[in-house]
Amino acid sequence: MGELLQYAKRRADSLRGDNVTKTTYDAKPGTHLQLWLLVFAVVFPIAVAVIVSTKQTGVVTSLGDLLPGSYAVENYREALVDYQFGRFMWNSLAMSVVIVVGKLVVSVFAAMAIVYYRVPYKDLVFLFILFTLLLPVPVRFIPLFQLMNDLGWSNTILAITVPYIASATTVFILRQHFLSIPTSIVETAKLDGVGPLRFMLFVLIPMSKGVLVGVSIIMFVYAWNQYLWPLIIIDSEANQVAQVGLQLLQGDVQGGQLSWSLVMAGSTLTLLPPLLLMIVFRKPLLETFSIQQK
Amino acid sequence: MSTREIFDSRIQSGLLLLPTLLVSVVFLYYPTALAVRTSFFDSSFGQGDEFVALENYVTLLTDPGYHSSLLLSILFAAVVVVGVIAVSLYLTFLIHEVDTGQGLYLISVIWPYALPPAVGALVFLFIAHPTLGVLTGPIEAVGVDVNWFNNGPQAFVVVALAAIWKQIGYNVIFMIAAMNNVPNTLTETAELDGVTGLRRLVSVYVPIMTPTLFFLVIINTIYAFFSTFAFVDLLTSGGPSNATNILIFDLYQEGFSFFNFGVASAKSVVLFLLVGVLMFVQFRVTDEYSYYGA
Amino acid sequence: MTTVTLQNLRKEFDDVVAVNGIDLEINHGEFLVIVGPSGCGKSTTLRLLAGLESTTDGRIEMNGQDVTTVEPKDRNVAMVFQNYALYPHMTGRRNITFGMKSSGDFTDEEIDRRVTEAADTLDIADLLDRKPDAMSGGERQRVALGRAIVRDPDAFLMDEPLSNLDAKLRIQMRAELARLHSTLETTTVYVTHDQTEAMTLGERVVVMNDGQIMQVDEPQVLYDFPANRFVAEFIGDPAMNMIPVEIQDGRAVHETFEIPLPSGTDQLKSNQNGVGDVQVIDGQRAILGIRPEDLHLSDAQTDGQLPTINAEVNVREPLGDSLLLHCSIGSTSCNIQAEPRTQVTAGETVSVTYDPARLHLFDAETGEALYHSESRQSTSEQAPSKLST
Repeated sequence: MGELLQYAKRRADSLRGDNVTKTTYDAKPGTHLQLWLLVFAVVFPIAVAVIVSTKQTGVVTSLGDLLPGSYAVENYREALVDYQFGRFMWNSLAMSVVIVVGKLVVSVFAAMAIVYYRVPYKDLVFLFILFTLLLPVPVRFIPLFQLMNDLGWSNTILAITVPYIASATTVFILRQHFLSIPTSIVETAKLDGVGPLRFMLFVLIPMSKGVLVGVSIIMFVYAWNQYLWPLIIIDSEANQVAQVGLQLLQGDVQGGQLSWSLVMAGSTLTLLPPLLLMIVFRKPLLETFSIQQK
Repeated sequence: MSTREIFDSRIQSGLLLLPTLLVSVVFLYYPTALAVRTSFFDSSFGQGDEFVALENYVTLLTDPGYHSSLLLSILFAAVVVVGVIAVSLYLTFLIHEVDTGQGLYLISVIWPYALPPAVGALVFLFIAHPTLGVLTGPIEAVGVDVNWFNNGPQAFVVVALAAIWKQIGYNVIFMIAAMNNVPNTLTETAELDGVTGLRRLVSVYVPIMTPTLFFLVIINTIYAFFSTFAFVDLLTSGGPSNATNILIFDLYQEGFSFFNFGVASAKSVVLFLLVGVLMFVQFRVTDEYSYYGA
Repeated sequence: MTTVTLQNLRKEFDDVVAVNGIDLEINHGEFLVIVGPSGCGKSTTLRLLAGLESTTDGRIEMNGQDVTTVEPKDRNVAMVFQNYALYPHMTGRRNITFGMKSSGDFTDEEIDRRVTEAADTLDIADLLDRKPDAMSGGERQRVALGRAIVRDPDAFLMDEPLSNLDAKLRIQMRAELARLHSTLETTTVYVTHDQTEAMTLGERVVVMNDGQIMQVDEPQVLYDFPANRFVAEFIGDPAMNMIPVEIQDGRAVHETFEIPLPSGTDQLKSNQNGVGDVQVIDGQRAILGIRPEDLHLSDAQTDGQLPTINAEVNVREPLGDSLLLHCSIGSTSCNIQAEPRTQVTAGETVSVTYDPARLHLFDAETGEALYHSESRQSTSEQAPSKLST
């Protein structure tokens, strides 16, 4: 009740024009300050990691020690070469690229069938694919481990890529996007007698460039950041991925054989590929996210 | 009336769907079925299986360790979800309020989306390390004894902070889109009525963003339950004395430290049901609130 | 030579009947416009013609051949859509050639020759290397037309092609379409909800409502001799006034007035609309239809012996070239198109008279036309004599 009265009073005031409150703009300097502090908090940990990766020992016990060192080249070389991080990165890259390309191809196919073919039980098939959202890796890694042993795929790139190729998320996003392509364009293709292959290559894919890039970034980040499954299924260092490689480096630190600066160099290296992709392709990425939520 | 279904070859659509369906069946549905089956057996690595009916589930029901792991996971999820949503919402609001530097602020808070959890874990381990950490000194200066290698609650806080930090990026991405979708006229009406600052966020933006926020609550819950494995594994290994032994880590240990595949499978099935319930809630809630988006 | 015949054409979507038994002959080279309110089935009819929808029942013939189940690409028709349907990632040229290249029926030289020709006809040579993003709405629609004409199709099917353009451009493109049709003389079926477009473009106009054809005629005939109340009210803006009356002894009797209905039996017999003799319906209730422009403020000098009607002016709308008066005649509301700059104020009661040659009667229940005060034949006889005077 009191609120209502206040409201009425403010309303009357502003109508009279003598007490029109100037709102957001007053708060701006404070807003920037708060943003600076929060951004600092979000960036600080990774900034420390980058700085330490340039130092000799990685002993940073006070804020005063947070000045860049001169051992950057040395540290990164050592991590990449002596501690096999180059190898891990390469394995991660191979895994991520295979997953991204595989998912894209297979999901474009599936989404095209679901949107552009008049066939029975289509909705059921779509549900069947969507239902796999309920079966993330953590739910099934135990039996998947047994299955990989049976297939003899353990410790190979097959084990860390093929199970990821079917993607309900990607099919869903592509389907949503295909449904947003005007029907008249599709019908024009039909009137012209454009065949399915030509339609896919020359109409569908060019008209989905942004989404395909966005989905690729999402899938790359997802694949690159996988930790649990490679940890379980890859047991030779030669085939290991960067995420688990970090764990191996950390083990050496705990054992006292390695300096933290090398671990931070490895961490920085591992962060770079997804981070760069995300920054470069942020526009299609953000647009694709807005499709996903629908 | 108009239709996108311009092709009708069943063979073609079948071929297009085949890869997705094949991978889904072999690597998603079959392992899940296998997990359900194994959960009724006493199955250990390298040994024959023996049918034990519901014994594994009885074990779970009566195991106080599992109960506390379940409760811990729920507490952990609650802390992470509330933390992530609160921080991200406030950050998004601040970014939404400023005119200059919006793009730069945005990218400097959404980048953790690309952050590999393993990297995040190691960086946190380094900056908050009880003896070496750069933050340890300042924190101890205000009277807190940093001792999370041995102090359960502290370990819980460290893992939760790391998990929150990583998830901010993803949340801000969705929130900024939702907040930008709030019609400008509403913001202006609120200003005219003198609804300023945080009150505008809480009483104008949040209600309109409800569908997005619910979506994020579910996504963050699933994240907290499953995708935080690397943080636990690298920061605390579930310790000290199980203070951070959340379900997913517990399951990993059951399978790959103790090789109790029967019990581990039963735990997988429980996780599966958990995801199912969360997804179901999400669909119901999204349905209910979908009119907001129209 | 392209003639199209629709026989008892029917289309149902689930439980909605979109097209409910249509019979229609489309002549060679004709520009036929289908007009009607949204949901009347006009677009569905066009899409059935294109083959984009399958028929529920009935038959479609093109040049005497049954094409009811023929694939769209084999019907040799070209369609132009309201939203242009240009591929956004292709240049104008590629948009025009993509379909031809897909069909594989044309050599590259032939395609080049035809594109140049079409570009000349439509004056779009400078658009060929641009993408749709860099074109205006009118330019896009021109390229879409180019894509339609290069195929040299047997028929053009156009689905509201001008509706996305602004008013000025729409009028310009309308004239251009008319010119294009007179150059190419290709059979064209054009769907629109805009009656002005229908009247200006159509050689014949089909008025549809609720999935059925209400009337097919030349534009002026539709206007002068609407076959039913629906056509009478749909064609013409502002719409025809509908006044409930009772027929008594050759007169239309309203609560506030009565006017004689001119009744040359010769005229009534020659009426092609099957409209009956006014005597037959004596004593019956009916709807008197008079267009706003056929009502005018009475002037004692010129229309001395005509009966007058009293109308109360409620609202006046100066339209510039005329003055539209919203009036009440008794309990019936009615629009009158008066001379511009007439001194009338709202609330005033005015004396109104009418053009006796422009009266229509419709059945109060079915809406069928019962009577037009002038016969169809006499108009067509009058037309040349008007020219000579």
